Amino acid sequence: MSFDKINVIDKLETIFSDTFSEDDYVFSSETGRDDIDEWDSLNHIRLLTAIEAEFGFQFDLNEIEELTSVSAIADIIQNRLN
Amino acid sequence: MHELPWLPSTLPDFNERCSHIADSENLIDEVRLLANCCISINQSNRLARAINKLTDENRNKLSGAFSPFKLGLVSNATMDLFVPSFIVSALRKGILLDVITADFGQIAQEAFDPESVLNRAKPDAVLLALDYRAYSFSANALAMSNADCDSQEALGFLKNVRNAFMQNSGVICITQTLASPPFALAGSFDLQKDGMIRKEIQKFNTGLIEDLNTTSDILMDVSSLANQVGANDWFDERQWYMSKVPIANRFIPLYADYLSRQIAALRGKNKKCLVLDLDNTLWGGVIGDDGLDGIKIGQGNPIGEAHLAIQQYAAELKKLGVILAVCSKNEPDIAREPFRQHPDMLLKEKDFAVFVANWEDKASNIREIANMLNIGLDSLVFVDDNPAEREIVRTLVPEVAVPELPQDPSLIPRTLSAAGYFDIINLTSDDIKRSAQYAENVQREQIRQKSGSVDAYLASLDMKIAFSEFDELGRKRITQLINKTNQFNLTTKRYTEVEVRHFEKSNDAYTMQARLVDRFGDNGMISVIICKDVDDCWEIDTWLMSCRVIKRRVEESMCDRLVDAARKKGITKLRGIYRPTEKNKLVKEHYKGLGFSLVNTEHDEDIWELNISDYKQKNPPISII
Repeated sequence: MSFDKINVIDKLETIFSDTFSEDDYVFSSETGRDDIDEWDSLNHIRLLTAIEAEFGFQFDLNEIEELTSVSAIADIIQNRLN
Repeated sequence: MHELPWLPSTLPDFNERCSHIADSENLIDEVRLLANCCISINQSNRLARAINKLTDENRNKLSGAFSPFKLGLVSNATMDLFVPSFIVSALRKGILLDVITADFGQIAQEAFDPESVLNRAKPDAVLLALDYRAYSFSANALAMSNADCDSQEALGFLKNVRNAFMQNSGVICITQTLASPPFALAGSFDLQKDGMIRKEIQKFNTGLIEDLNTTSDILMDVSSLANQVGANDWFDERQWYMSKVPIANRFIPLYADYLSRQIAALRGKNKKCLVLDLDNTLWGGVIGDDGLDGIKIGQGNPIGEAHLAIQQYAAELKKLGVILAVCSKNEPDIAREPFRQHPDMLLKEKDFAVFVANWEDKASNIREIANMLNIGLDSLVFVDDNPAEREIVRTLVPEVAVPELPQDPSLIPRTLSAAGYFDIINLTSDDIKRSAQYAENVQREQIRQKSGSVDAYLASLDMKIAFSEFDELGRKRITQLINKTNQFNLTTKRYTEVEVRHFEKSNDAYTMQARLVDRFGDNGMISVIICKDVDDCWEIDTWLMSCRVIKRRVEESMCDRLVDAARKKGITKLRGIYRPTEKNKLVKEHYKGLGFSLVNTEHDEDIWELNISDYKQKNPPISII
């Protein structure tokens, strides 16, 4: 199955709104850790657990370091799935 | 990924409903519904947040239906992600949980300092969420333990921690067995050599179980839970290295559910009765269509063996005191045929306290079963292979636990066991007799309906009662009754075993336990009274009675005895308190019936008093032994 990036980002939007309760940020591919106050280390784990559950794979530690923005996350997911 | 397969899947509008939870028409049912679906940790977080935001008024509403419980939490790991799941899982079991979390790693400090956060908070129990990495023998080691430290030392440390919590705040600890991490140095030999972590963990677990035998601390067997899912999945080194999260995130809801079962058992909220469907549940096929020769049950056929295993599971639960009942849509006579005539049926008619087979809807039948057994709807588990029946019961009787079942009958015992509905923390001899007692009760009820006058009926029961003050022998059962009795309970105060022991030893308390035998059998311990000595008056702090003996004038016999004891001690007055809850309307007029006068009503509580000198002996038809 091939995922295009738009498709992945759509799914990420749902996951983000599920993970973070605050709604005063604008979700886009540019959204990054600095834009969301709640995106601390614990919520980072919640976020990646939700992504792993949705897409059915596990990030490796190197990838986790790089999960700093929506766009970066989408790239890694696409890499893993295609 | 579905780690709680017995729960129905989450609702499509779950998030929306969480946001509007305060506006729902029936808050209690809504909370029950949301907590009872299989939700992710993000959704748990959302629901827990919504609960925390409720106004005091709404919270009070919840505490009528959900029993409040304060849990202290210490850990060698980061537990922040767990807390929302704890709260949601507890709601699933009828508990309104408040969690007080100690700072990361503050184990000894919290236990030994009488002024620590937890010791000051006086929780109902402390969870010692410690995995193998908490103990010196395995700290900073992978598979071979640190020199000079072993499991013995770890057990000693744990014992000191448990004792300190007990001494400083009289609180019991929930204590974990250790899961073995998925590493070995020398393969199987790891288990043969002292000093290997795998071997030390095994020694630790064996030692811990023995240590707990002599205390009221609670065992939580995390090792078995981890084995069930597999250590490779249970442990996630990435999360440990990132944030010291002790287990793979996706198992947090499972761990939380496991914990909530222990809390439910402490509060007497575990289930009492297993209600079973027949066709395609207790046997394969449909008795009305396939006939006695056509249904599949017993050895020699894989489907028959799978259904036999379901019967075995039910039969073994019955040995632990679980009441069995049948609820089937069938012709009454045809439904009973396999039990009477099929040679491979393990369960017989006499194994069931209630047998309902008719064409009424199952929701009404289940209400009727609870009614006949005189137990709460929230004590029932309903097992049916038909998704439509499950859905109807869930909707119409939301108090009843209705597990989702796999299509494959061979997976049913595993699924029921994983749900842990009947988990217990101890087993008294009364528990073992319980299922027989309920069956006898149904017989009594049938006689009562036949015999005309109530008094003639009571006399025909040939009741004998025995009284004594609290003692060690009765302590576990007393604690159990105190924690699970809802209907005949004047104040609904809950006490731990430690507190019960305190009343037992105290000079300022008068305690009473009562046992009842009748011609149908031994009812075991059925009632408990605790009076506090206040000058020349006894204030009745607790008076409760098991539902299976209500309307039998037992309370009159107890009151006769209580007044007698008070008189001998020079007490001149009894004071009774009625504190209303959702469930105890039954006893609103209890003291009035015994000749007390209402003297005051404050904060909803009715205060009743009785001058000992005015008391008229009741002498109900119950002999005293």
